[in-house]
Amino acid sequence: MEWLGSTLLKTFWRPALNSVRTRYHADKTRLVRRYGYEEKLWCGGLLPRTLGKPLPIPEYRPYNPWTEKRAQFGQNDYIDILGPGDLHPVKTLYSVPSWIRGVHGKEYHILLRKKKMWANTGSPQTRPTKWKEMEKRIGYLYRKLNRKTKSGMSNE
Amino acid sequence: MASVLITAIKRLTITAAPTRVYSSVTNSVATVSNSSLDVTKKEWMFPPAYTKPREVWIENMDSVEEKKLGLFELHPTVFASVPRIDLIHRNVTWQRKYRWISWAHTKTRAEVRGGGKKPWPQKGLGRARHGSIRSPLFRGGGVIHGPRSGTTHFYMLPFHQRIYGLTSTLSAKLAQDDLHLIKNLELPSDEPEFLKDLIENRNWGPSVLFVDDTDIAPRNITVATDALPHVNIMPVYGLNVYSMLKHDTLVLTLAAAERIEERILLLLHAITKDKEAPFKLDQV
Repeated sequence: MEWLGSTLLKTFWRPALNSVRTRYHADKTRLVRRYGYEEKLWCGGLLPRTLGKPLPIPEYRPYNPWTEKRAQFGQNDYIDILGPGDLHPVKTLYSVPSWIRGVHGKEYHILLRKKKMWANTGSPQTRPTKWKEMEKRIGYLYRKLNRKTKSGMSNE
Repeated sequence: MASVLITAIKRLTITAAPTRVYSSVTNSVATVSNSSLDVTKKEWMFPPAYTKPREVWIENMDSVEEKKLGLFELHPTVFASVPRIDLIHRNVTWQRKYRWISWAHTKTRAEVRGGGKKPWPQKGLGRARHGSIRSPLFRGGGVIHGPRSGTTHFYMLPFHQRIYGLTSTLSAKLAQDDLHLIKNLELPSDEPEFLKDLIENRNWGPSVLFVDDTDIAPRNITVATDALPHVNIMPVYGLNVYSMLKHDTLVLTLAAAERIEERILLLLHAITKDKEAPFKLDQV
């Protein structure tokens, strides 16, 4: 009976057979040498710095070219041409302190002007050290420019 | 016979053409309405001698889609001069420099705190001789020839170079199709999306500079431009070369265009000795 059943199965069910002709290297099991030994040294390449301070990379601050200040840059620079004509563009430089607005000169001349304009304010009393240092610098530059350099030589 | 016919035809065409109405007032505007298109012919105080006025479409601002409301004439001396790139560059450089003050500062050996006492005796120690611990040789000492605070880069560009800088930039903008004319700054809504769509639809650059005659703008456009940092409004007296170059597109109202023309033409034909005079500090 068993024999009959197996012959029947063989006659009706014949699976397609394919001989395996490829055997990849990656599929093969390999011989593990020194099984159970743990490698103490790290061989996986460079490591991130996890200990101690991070490297001093500045915080990324994206540049915004359209802040209000940058979008309005240069406004009123032609006010003497396009405006009513009675205002000079230097007068509209509100962001610049008045004692240095529209001034062109070397350090000595700028300091002289600063001293002249600040003398009658409370500055000599409220910031005496700054005032003294400024006077000292003016004296030093006076001596340097008038007694030690030819005219046009120094850029101070 | 033929000549008579030709003259008759000529007369016909002359009578059919829209008549240019001149009034005695300078800078007057004669408008010829022709099938809902306003064609504006202008009579300037200083009419162009050798070149033709430039005609520019007047565009609408009440819908996203562009509608041409009419034609407007621009003076060629102001809006079609030779775009001198060197002058534009000089103007931009001047604008950056004349307000630039470097506040970088270093202290000299006299200003650094301390250093009055001789650090160690002159002789007998086997060490180098020194008189102050704030000497430039010392760490933490003063700095020689360092920057001193308040270094200015101020100068005034010659007056006419600044005028030609303006005309050059305006001409370059017009020649490159980056200058547009509108009637006024009235918008139908205060939503920034509307203005954004309008700019996108008309192929105006991402950044747009609106220029009006007055410094009070209608509420809708101020609210809309507040949310768009790259869309700005400026009065005529605030217009400058740097802003025109920074913004991709320049949009003038009719009044603004007329004011710019009027001011520049007047100054180009006036005696400007006082304005050309060298800049004096106490005069300003």
